[in-house]
Amino acid sequence: MRGKDVRLSGVSITYPNGFTAVQPTDLHIGAGEFFSILGPSGCGKTTILRAVSGFIEPSRGQVLIGGEDMAGSGPNARPTALIFQNLALFPLMPVWENVAFGLEARGVSRRARRDRAQELLELVALGDQAGKTPGELSGGQRQRVAIARALAVEPAVLLLDEPLSALDLKLRQHMRAELRAIQRKTGVTFIYITHDQGEALTMSDRIAVMNAGVIEQVGTGDEVYSDPATAFAASFVGETNHFEGRIESAAPGLATIATAHGRFRARNPGALAAGAAAMLFVRPEALRLGAAENRLAGRLTRRDLEGPFLNLFFQAGGQEVALHMTNDGRASGVTAGEDTELGFDAEQAVVLPAGELAHTGKEMAAQ
Amino acid sequence: MRGLLTGYGRGLTLFFFLAVALWGLVLIILPQLTMLERALTAPKRALDSSVAAALARDARTCISVLDAYAAPVAQGQGSSGGMAVPSASGMAVPSASAMAVPSASAMAVPSASGMAVPSLSGMGPGGEGRKAARPYVLQCDRATTHSQLVRGEGEDQAFLDTAYGLPLLAVPDSAPIAAQKRTAAEIAELAQVLYLDLREREASANPYTLGNFGWLVAARAIPLSPGQKVIEDAKLSKRLMGLAGLRFERDGETYERIGLITLSRTLLFAVMATGLALILCYPMAYKVALATPPERALWLFLGLVIPYAIVELMRVYAWTTIIDSQGLINGLLSWAGLIDEPLQLKRSPATVFVVIVYTYVLFMVFPIYNVMSTLDRNQIEAARDLGASPWRVHARIIIPHAKPGIAVGTIATFMLAAGAFSVPRIISRGLQAEWFSQTIYNKFFESENSNVGAAYSFSYTLVCFVIVGLFMWAMRTRLRDFARVQ
Repeated sequence: MRGKDVRLSGVSITYPNGFTAVQPTDLHIGAGEFFSILGPSGCGKTTILRAVSGFIEPSRGQVLIGGEDMAGSGPNARPTALIFQNLALFPLMPVWENVAFGLEARGVSRRARRDRAQELLELVALGDQAGKTPGELSGGQRQRVAIARALAVEPAVLLLDEPLSALDLKLRQHMRAELRAIQRKTGVTFIYITHDQGEALTMSDRIAVMNAGVIEQVGTGDEVYSDPATAFAASFVGETNHFEGRIESAAPGLATIATAHGRFRARNPGALAAGAAAMLFVRPEALRLGAAENRLAGRLTRRDLEGPFLNLFFQAGGQEVALHMTNDGRASGVTAGEDTELGFDAEQAVVLPAGELAHTGKEMAAQ
Repeated sequence: MRGLLTGYGRGLTLFFFLAVALWGLVLIILPQLTMLERALTAPKRALDSSVAAALARDARTCISVLDAYAAPVAQGQGSSGGMAVPSASGMAVPSASAMAVPSASAMAVPSASGMAVPSLSGMGPGGEGRKAARPYVLQCDRATTHSQLVRGEGEDQAFLDTAYGLPLLAVPDSAPIAAQKRTAAEIAELAQVLYLDLREREASANPYTLGNFGWLVAARAIPLSPGQKVIEDAKLSKRLMGLAGLRFERDGETYERIGLITLSRTLLFAVMATGLALILCYPMAYKVALATPPERALWLFLGLVIPYAIVELMRVYAWTTIIDSQGLINGLLSWAGLIDEPLQLKRSPATVFVVIVYTYVLFMVFPIYNVMSTLDRNQIEAARDLGASPWRVHARIIIPHAKPGIAVGTIATFMLAAGAFSVPRIISRGLQAEWFSQTIYNKFFESENSNVGAAYSFSYTLVCFVIVGLFMWAMRTRLRDFARVQ
């Protein structure tokens, strides 16, 4: 198996009811890459996946796989295999027939199918489950059957549509590692759709952050997390504190932003000019108790103990500010209702053009 | 049981069990048991006692007719020449000749009417030599101790006088009226005594017999002229019947097992109609359930339902106007210049067939639709994505999933088609061979031979049961799959 690269050039997708799910997009996914598309539900990531797999044709632009234009070829004619969110295993067939289904469709003899299915089941550590039906397997086993079934057709590109979302946490974490291992072993290009940033960050070579049909940022996990390109990317990937304001002065690399909480210095990757409406983002783990280059005052309102970590929430100027720290006993002095000084370094904060933010958990719960 | 009790409480649980028991008893066991009992009992009028009773009745009626006749003669008014109308009670046992099918068509079923054909000797050339003292009176003609008893196929003929040692007596029409009346009175007396005696004996004898079922397989002689016979023998259907043992020749006469022929013909039609319904309904169900966005499927769904909001009979009658000689189809065809003579559609078995399919198609489409709509469309997409052709998607994904629905729809449609009564009756208007359901009806109500009707009906139930069982076996449909349908 050898992966192929996938290129979207100027692809936009508008549904018959007039809704544009994907704005014109250019994207290149390298051969053998584990690429994730991360975004909230309804952002158009599944639509992109279906366009690559051939279930929908882009309204504009081209999908190229291995340099070949895929226009006009249906899902059965593309070198892709799709793993569905609900897996879509065939419940009436035994596991091995599920795995061998793609070979059956290619006219491979029954004996050869059986052997190949067995090989693939060994690969996903299900060699002894070939005769069972999917209903008799556990969630994780079904997951692996779906992967084996998709790999059976030797796809150059494997498309995964939130395949882990139905699993419980422990299993999900285990399956992340397993997926990554399978991807390394096979060398197939993986395009992985998820709304779970943890999945995207742990597994992917590169991540595309997507919102409202637009890809906001493409980069490695580190880049996306540490150097978000847009306000949405900063707020969607990981937790963050943000302060709105206006750029006061911009020196090379660094800028000073005036906010309701005071004046802060932070990195300025977008070279925002003085006077521009901007937002400052600082991760909770970049904040610390006590003074630093940037400082703000807050009052402790909540203290969540997560064993090795401690999450503190402060009220600062009518806004909630989160601070994460390792549980080393330093926070024991802070008690609820007490005014405290918080600080962060300019290097660990970033100013970005003001823009749409991802919904917080509180907002989503209210919807 | 415990779950039911905690879930529904004692009252509802009791009600539930009662309802189930009542359902099984009233809908399944009792009707079939009564049907079986009736089928195993000899028809009352086939009993020797009934023959004796009929004879006694005939003889008495003869006397009273002669009484009434004697009075006008005494007044010198002469004969009105009228034939006595047989009283309704005067049903005679059909003689063997009445069983013969007069029609050349093998599909026709003997009317087997209980009316005795008056023997020609009463008024025909046989009587010319003698001077009859009175006009022909049916009951007097029948009032003879040499009455034939009902015996099954293969048994020897038997007569009342020889079987029970009665003197051979008849009412001679040339004797003086008074002598005739005396003879008739004697016959009536003998018959009445015999009747009472026989009734007692029959009551203590085992009443059950398989004789009624024998009627179903009985072969009837088909009168054919040599020319007709050559034509008939050449027909494929007749040759097939010959191969199946439904038609044979003995002593130069052609025999057909009419009952079995009607039965197998009806079943064949029902199977074909079911097959056609399935072929029509599967794509329809697929289209509505899986190949249409849900918001548009509603309209298709309504399109399917609305025709069935019309009473079945009305729909069938509507078809009669379509297939009439001056009906829609013939009108269109002749307007298009394709035909000169109207097609006799009501004589064509194909018409009955088509209307049956039309009438019962809904019972096929809904079970299939219901099951199909529960299929996860992702499975179809997954199969497509793995490279399966549309055919393979149907064969491997959709049909296996829809199997319980297909089985339920097929069984329902088959049973409805096999038991169809109004459609063949209204469409063919007696111009075609009967469906077996009509034969059963005729046995029950038109020949007043409900015991034979019951035997037919019970056999039919069994045959259909076996067919359904075979079908389910062929479909590998386990009974528990049916629970998935709803």
